[in-house]
Amino acid sequence: MQLPLLASTFLTVFLAELGDKTQLAIVTISGTSSRSGAVFAGSASALVLASLLGAGAGGSLSAVIPTDALQLAASVGFLVIGGRLLLKAGQDDETEEIAQDAE
Amino acid sequence: MPESAPSSDTPQPESTQQQSKKEEKAASFGAVFLTTFTTVFLAELGDKTQLAALLLSAESGRPVLVFIGASLALISSSLVGVVLGRWLSRVLPPGQLERLAGILMIALGLWLGRQAAVSMFPLA
Repeated sequence: MQLPLLASTFLTVFLAELGDKTQLAIVTISGTSSRSGAVFAGSASALVLASLLGAGAGGSLSAVIPTDALQLAASVGFLVIGGRLLLKAGQDDETEEIAQDAE
Repeated sequence: MPESAPSSDTPQPESTQQQSKKEEKAASFGAVFLTTFTTVFLAELGDKTQLAALLLSAESGRPVLVFIGASLALISSSLVGVVLGRWLSRVLPPGQLERLAGILMIALGLWLGRQAAVSMFPLA
């Protein structure tokens, strides 16, 4: 075991990941869902699988997978989730107002 | 409803209710898992984390070790994200948090989409 290499990989990736869009997405999904366990399991396995592809495929990854098209698909997913959250926020405000009126 | 009614009937509806609740929970666990997995996986491919992992594995020639280190880091960072989200959900009212989160997601989506589009169709 080469501890320095392990530690340097961990630190590099961890620091690169802090405040990244992926983490922001995780914060968003976790904050607005009651199932933190599912969010953690889903995000952790997705990240591990993505890094498995990265470490395994080496430099040829972008030749094998159309990463740009996938990122475009991801951006559509972000927009859909964002739109749904905004709709839900409006509904929650309405129910809050109704509850306040009832009081 | 008499308060001291014998509860020979009540356990059954209660148990079916619990069962349906359980099924609902299981379904939503799967749904949340799948949504999170797909979003994070798609967003992460071709990201700078992978670039770092690629560089390290290319230089060291020890891809397994690099993979373990990167995985541990990614699991830790997603744990930080989940904990932060839970904390926010306790601090902020749900409507406000959903609005902030929605705006953030749309902003990220636009930014990510622009990046991908520019990379696919480079102008100049």
